[in-house]
Amino acid sequence: MFKNSIVIALCCLCGATALADIPRGADGKPNLNGVWQVLNSANYGLEPHSAKASMAMIPGPQGPIPAPSVVALGAVGAVPAGLGVVEGSMIPYTPEARQIQEKNQHNWLNADPEIKCYLPGVPRATYMPFPFQIHQSDNATVITYEYAGAFRNLLFNNTVEAPIDSWMGQSDAHWEGDTLVVVVTGHNNQSWFDRAGNHHSDALIVTERYTLVSEHVIEYQATMEDKNVFTRPWTIRMPIYKRVGADAQLQQFKCVEFVEQLMYGDLRAASN
Amino acid sequence: MNRLICTYFLRVAVLGIAILGSALQAEPWTVPRTALGDPDLQGIWTNATVTGLQRPRQFKQLVLTEQEAKRWEAETSGFFESIDDVPDEGVQAGEDVGGYNSFWLDPGTKAMRVNGEIRSSILTSPEDGQLPFRLGARFKLFQFFIQDAMDGPEQRPLGERCLMGFGSTAGPPMLPVVYNNHYQIVQSPGHVMILVEMIHDARIVRMQGEHVDDVIRPWLGDSIGRWEGDTLVVETKNFNPGQSFRAGIKSQYYLSSEAKVSERFTRISDDEIIYQFTVDDPGAYSESWTGEMALRQSEGPIYEYACHEGNYAMPGILKGARLDESGQ
Repeated sequence: MFKNSIVIALCCLCGATALADIPRGADGKPNLNGVWQVLNSANYGLEPHSAKASMAMIPGPQGPIPAPSVVALGAVGAVPAGLGVVEGSMIPYTPEARQIQEKNQHNWLNADPEIKCYLPGVPRATYMPFPFQIHQSDNATVITYEYAGAFRNLLFNNTVEAPIDSWMGQSDAHWEGDTLVVVVTGHNNQSWFDRAGNHHSDALIVTERYTLVSEHVIEYQATMEDKNVFTRPWTIRMPIYKRVGADAQLQQFKCVEFVEQLMYGDLRAASN
Repeated sequence: MNRLICTYFLRVAVLGIAILGSALQAEPWTVPRTALGDPDLQGIWTNATVTGLQRPRQFKQLVLTEQEAKRWEAETSGFFESIDDVPDEGVQAGEDVGGYNSFWLDPGTKAMRVNGEIRSSILTSPEDGQLPFRLGARFKLFQFFIQDAMDGPEQRPLGERCLMGFGSTAGPPMLPVVYNNHYQIVQSPGHVMILVEMIHDARIVRMQGEHVDDVIRPWLGDSIGRWEGDTLVVETKNFNPGQSFRAGIKSQYYLSSEAKVSERFTRISDDEIIYQFTVDDPGAYSESWTGEMALRQSEGPIYEYACHEGNYAMPGILKGARLDESGQ
């Protein structure tokens, strides 16, 4: 047990460290195949936060209260606490960019792309409260996400820059020892990092590191660089857990139809 | 000089014999295999073609001559180019402004070639290349087309709602449409993933699995796979009732939520998969129907098709209908 902890700790310090007791494919690379999911509240906010009644709060007579549009949800609409997943606790925004984040948070119901079932972007896709599946073969690796049916094709040996910005960006992948490194470029400026309004510009570069530290745990790390928004690169870390048995089956969450009333309800015929 | 020429011809002759020899000794093509030993179907494939699901009335046979095919391909190409034509007097407010320009379309330029035959329809059975509709199913499809209702988003086709691609591009069965006819297949232990370019729909086929409970009705249905020799066989059921109207330019059909679709993927060369399917839907059709197509290898990658995120048309359609009702 103590030995395993040391191995995991070493692995976290250096993604390239080779681990002997993890599943591997025919090519000797760590076998990441399976259905994976985080167990944290990062999608509510990457930075440390206390539990609260809602993401949409307004001033009340004795302090903030839930906004009228979410009151009916009661405890279901409440926010679980989170210790934070950002190294150093806070995202190093420029002062102007921090103001935009605060404005986004205030305007959450109207502005969070998740509310409209828009594609989550990277890295948010990883820590949405839904599983995702890694499909890894000897000549291709893709990731399918339950939320919104998001999809990424990891390009190995690609030398072409992203020709156009997109929601999920372009994922260029390579192995550094036993760590799968994915550099994601070509983001649009519309995705968010979480429900707290954390944001970026289209200059964002995300470097993800997936390190299988045991059969059932990937240590995930993502470093964000965006000179328009942040004063320096910053990093998030979290474990991702493998779902097993009957739970290891991705379901479908095509939420487009679930938001039609929200987005188009006011345009229905009077009789409809 | 003469010596040089002789040497040159000698070299050419030797080279020719070497090439001929290697051709005669060439091993017959064998299916590539994955590390797991299964036939390798992986890559990016396209089914873009002039050929539609049903046989056009002008053809009596499944197999066309080169001459018939060339004429048909030219007619089809002319049709898609003609959509750019704007009347000299322009389009007036309130008139139909049409849809896409041809620039946005990629409908295929060739009739479908399968096993060396040029095909007039994807359908191979029934023999007449026509869907064996029961009256009720034909009527439902007809009603869907003529109602063209705009009271709410649910009445619009799935393609307009960005829920699924037009027609039956995601399937199953996966049929060609007028653009985005690409698919990516990735095989991992226990799964075959088929990405449909339209709406980035990934169909995850569980090998040797069991179907989900009947109350679960996913879009694209629930797919279970197995190998029969070197052929991947995929059985799909539990269709979502909302996916019954498969309406595209190249194919229009009705599929009840009780239908079963069986697909067969057989790789026959480095750059071709033969894709066969059988639709068994006794409530809607008097007999099962079967189709056959070629999936041809295509260069990648497939780019993101983020439809819903840019669906400015849906509010436009509904708002236009409301203005129309109020006489504005």
